[in-house]
Amino acid sequence: MIGAVIDWSAFLFYLFAAVACGFALAVVLSNHIVHMAFYLTLALGATAGLFLLTGSQFVGAMQFMIYVGGTLVLLVFGVMLTAQHRFVSIRTRAGEWITAAVLGGALLMLLGYVAWAVPDWHAAPPAHVPPEQVESTSRLGLALTGVRMDGGSGYALPFVIVSVHLLVVLIGAGYLARARVRVSDAAARKEMP
Amino acid sequence: MATRLEDPRVVEFDVRTDEMLVNMGPQHPSTHGVLRLVLRTDGEVVSEVQPHIGYLHRCAEKIGENLTPRQWIPYTDRMDYLAGMNMNLGWSLTVEKLLRYELPEKARHLRVIICELGRIASHLVGMGAYGLDLGTFSPFLYAFREREKILDLFEEACGARLTYSYICPGGATADLPKGWLQKCEKFLDEFAPVIDEYHALLTTNAIFIKRTAGIGILPAEMAIDYGCSGPVLRGSGVDFDLRRDGEPRYTSMYDGYAFEVVVQKDGHYPRDHKYPPVPKEAVLGDCWHRFYVRMLEVVQSMDLVRQGIEFYSRSKGDWGTPIKLNQKLPKGEAYLETEAPRGQMGFYIVSDGSSIPWRVRARSSSFCNLSVVSELCRGCLIADVPAIVGSLDIVMGEIDR
Amino acid sequence: MLPGVQVGQPVAHRLAYLWRAPAWGRPLLVERSSWDRCRRGLSIEGNDVVEFFEATLNWPSWLAWTAVALIQCFLLINLVAGGALFFIWLERKVAGRIQDRLGPTRVGGKFGWLQTLADGIKLLAKEDIVPKEADPFLFRMAPYVSFTASFCGWLALPFADNWVGQRLNVAVFFIVAIVGLEVFGVILAGYASGSKWSLFGAMREAAQVVSYEVPLGLCIVVPVMIAGSMDLVTIGNKQAGYFTNWFIFHDPAAFVVFWVYFTCAVASVNRAPFDLAEAESELVAGFHTEYSGLRWSFFFMAEYGSMLLVSALAAILFFGGWHGPFPIISQGLVPALAAMTGASVDSPVLVYLANLAGCANLIFKAVIGVTVMMWVRWTLPRLRIDQVLTTCLKYCVPLAALCFLAEVWFQLYPHTNPMPLNRLQWGAPRASIEVREGWLPLSPVSPDDVQEAQLTHSQEHRG
Repeated sequence: MIGAVIDWSAFLFYLFAAVACGFALAVVLSNHIVHMAFYLTLALGATAGLFLLTGSQFVGAMQFMIYVGGTLVLLVFGVMLTAQHRFVSIRTRAGEWITAAVLGGALLMLLGYVAWAVPDWHAAPPAHVPPEQVESTSRLGLALTGVRMDGGSGYALPFVIVSVHLLVVLIGAGYLARARVRVSDAAARKEMP
Repeated sequence: MATRLEDPRVVEFDVRTDEMLVNMGPQHPSTHGVLRLVLRTDGEVVSEVQPHIGYLHRCAEKIGENLTPRQWIPYTDRMDYLAGMNMNLGWSLTVEKLLRYELPEKARHLRVIICELGRIASHLVGMGAYGLDLGTFSPFLYAFREREKILDLFEEACGARLTYSYICPGGATADLPKGWLQKCEKFLDEFAPVIDEYHALLTTNAIFIKRTAGIGILPAEMAIDYGCSGPVLRGSGVDFDLRRDGEPRYTSMYDGYAFEVVVQKDGHYPRDHKYPPVPKEAVLGDCWHRFYVRMLEVVQSMDLVRQGIEFYSRSKGDWGTPIKLNQKLPKGEAYLETEAPRGQMGFYIVSDGSSIPWRVRARSSSFCNLSVVSELCRGCLIADVPAIVGSLDIVMGEIDR
Repeated sequence: MLPGVQVGQPVAHRLAYLWRAPAWGRPLLVERSSWDRCRRGLSIEGNDVVEFFEATLNWPSWLAWTAVALIQCFLLINLVAGGALFFIWLERKVAGRIQDRLGPTRVGGKFGWLQTLADGIKLLAKEDIVPKEADPFLFRMAPYVSFTASFCGWLALPFADNWVGQRLNVAVFFIVAIVGLEVFGVILAGYASGSKWSLFGAMREAAQVVSYEVPLGLCIVVPVMIAGSMDLVTIGNKQAGYFTNWFIFHDPAAFVVFWVYFTCAVASVNRAPFDLAEAESELVAGFHTEYSGLRWSFFFMAEYGSMLLVSALAAILFFGGWHGPFPIISQGLVPALAAMTGASVDSPVLVYLANLAGCANLIFKAVIGVTVMMWVRWTLPRLRIDQVLTTCLKYCVPLAALCFLAEVWFQLYPHTNPMPLNRLQWGAPRASIEVREGWLPLSPVSPDDVQEAQLTHSQEHRG
């Protein structure tokens, strides 16, 4: 009976991984900007599912809130800035395909190298890992504020750097989107002697 | 506050967003019938509003040139179908003016009672539908609940609930039935406390004030320039009411009646000590004031109805003799304006001596009131468009005829 | 090595882990009452149903787990769908009564209680229209996205002590994150409809939800701070006893923040006076202008599901969850029954009985919340989009932030708390409750300790 050999963790892992990879591919291959955003959401949602599978519930929920929610804003901008029909569908030219393939391939190779470099992953998987509750929230919070349980330096500085960066981005966005009152041509002409 | 752009041309954005042309109507929940507004919007900001009318055009005036004046009365009902009695009155007075007919005393008071009740019914719809425009449904039904009682009274008097054809040249088609006046008084007694309910639900509601105060400000000069009338004009602070300032043939109807035109003078409305104060945000001529004028006119009309009942029960004589169906008209012309609930309603009749008028025209108050909409909506938000159109309280049947 | 799955962990495992995990300080698991140890119920964690399938019916493990998962999904989806049926009927009745009418009276007998079913059949029979200008794929997907988001939030919501689809230690956070996703379906619907009115609705919805997530998140932090946990089961159990133990009466900050939370919750589920996305007097019907039939009804199921979800969340965070204003069942009836029958207070039947009463209690509170939303909807006019955002950014966010700071103050200096109710501590049955997250080490941890702890930890893992 197949049931006897079903390992749920493996099954769900492969399921979510396949969904994530499949929709990531769909993002690349689709040429409709809003469809892309939709696929991206699904890919990121499946990634959140992977996080939840590992028991990192906080990171999983965070993934939902930030990445999936962030894509939402992306979608809104996609719709707003490309309301004209000719921008909605994006044609990719051959040169762009090649550039993208080189860049993406390099990244994939890097990721693969890093993944295979993890020593634990070379050993045969243990027979049965008792699932456990990973209680990461407080540890993550403490690490962010600079207290790391393993005696490391904490992430206070990177956190501040990223925050400042985001603030700059926010101000920049506000600056770009602001309404500017300009002296109209008629008024300017009136002022001329 | 709203992003009010005084002149949209002098504002520019670094991030270009496209302008959109949106049809609001002719099938739209808040255009009060089949009005079509073409909005040019930049995001939520409306830069231009162009009203398109004519979807309810039924050639009423042309039909009037093929019927005798008495036959045409049902067509006047269908102009401002929310105030059919007042439409009947306007046409009847015009024909009477042409005929130089003198109305008996009792008919005069009957007409005042009926028309002021009609005004209450019409303002109730205006008020309720305005609530609907702003997204609250309940006041609409509260208003209709009271209007039903008025319609019951009308039904008892003339047999119809919407298109009455009750008032006709020469008087009315029938006298008020026995016991009608008592019922009417009972209604007025029941109705008086309900008005406070409306004030609580709408006039003083914080969200209602936010949505209406300071929105769609219509300055007095602009209101006069565009020929606005009725509550729209008085809401801008212009002290003008045809019941007081009109032609003697019309104002004589109100001889002996005590009433004060509802308009803000020196920052105060008449009798405003009894009713909610004007909020700080409200500017004279905005949607809130137009709404408030209507609410106060309801009270004023109640007062007039009470006086009318008094006069009517004391007066002798009959309710007038309706003119014959094929009454010969004297050669000539007549034009008369009355104060309908929505404003100045004028009828024009030219006769060549036969029983069928040579020309019939109507001057519609809603038409002029609607024409300011493109001025009022410039630079407002989309949500303000129903608020502004609703505060003008237009009836398409009257505009398109 | 594949990551372990959350499901299927017996309580004992977790206990053992908590005891042996000194890596981040001392877990303050002082005392676990017998009640706590014997929590049972529908939860996967509780294992009872699985055990029943495995032991009594001799089902293989995978089948037992699948069956339990399916049963839970079935119960939850029926709660959402059946809830929508009930709430649509209730809304019509409430609206009718508010407006001096009767509402539905005929279908199904006296109170028209089958009216929604009749409407549902009508919707099923309607033609499913996809406009010519629409993006057919997204147009078809959007209602399901909305409904899925609304439904997923229920997975982490407990109905009674440990009666929860999946007990998460960040359940509050998870639910807020998921509820925010409902807007995704709305935006897709607005875009894909190919109608300008729909697009306006979608844009409004996006602006509104993105803004209201901020105060909503700040609001829920206050009860989380009081409880010291983001686990909804823990938060609920911390409010056991009399109503004086409810978090809304804990301190002034919590009292104020509840109202902010409710406002933001109404806004985030798109109900009047914040229902700008569908604003029927302005945008015809907003994002669902072009929808008909069953797809349209999915949006409504999502809306009512979310309403009930945020109300239930409010009940758990502020109103004691499954613990009533008076502990009649858990401290009155259950011990009395136990004494009568001679059974232990922890016997499965009695625990089940107490949980059932608690579940009814929670749902009752949630329904009250939904009814208040209906009452508000049929009373108030709609705000304008800029006013909605002003309400959020100028009032809700600062107020929530102030309450947050005040709550920090009250946590640091509890004796300054002017709310006297909280000190009574009436009828709290447990001296302490397991709190699994957020405990700081009581003494500074030396790096040696940490290294040692890590070593033991990893050795345990490999061994």
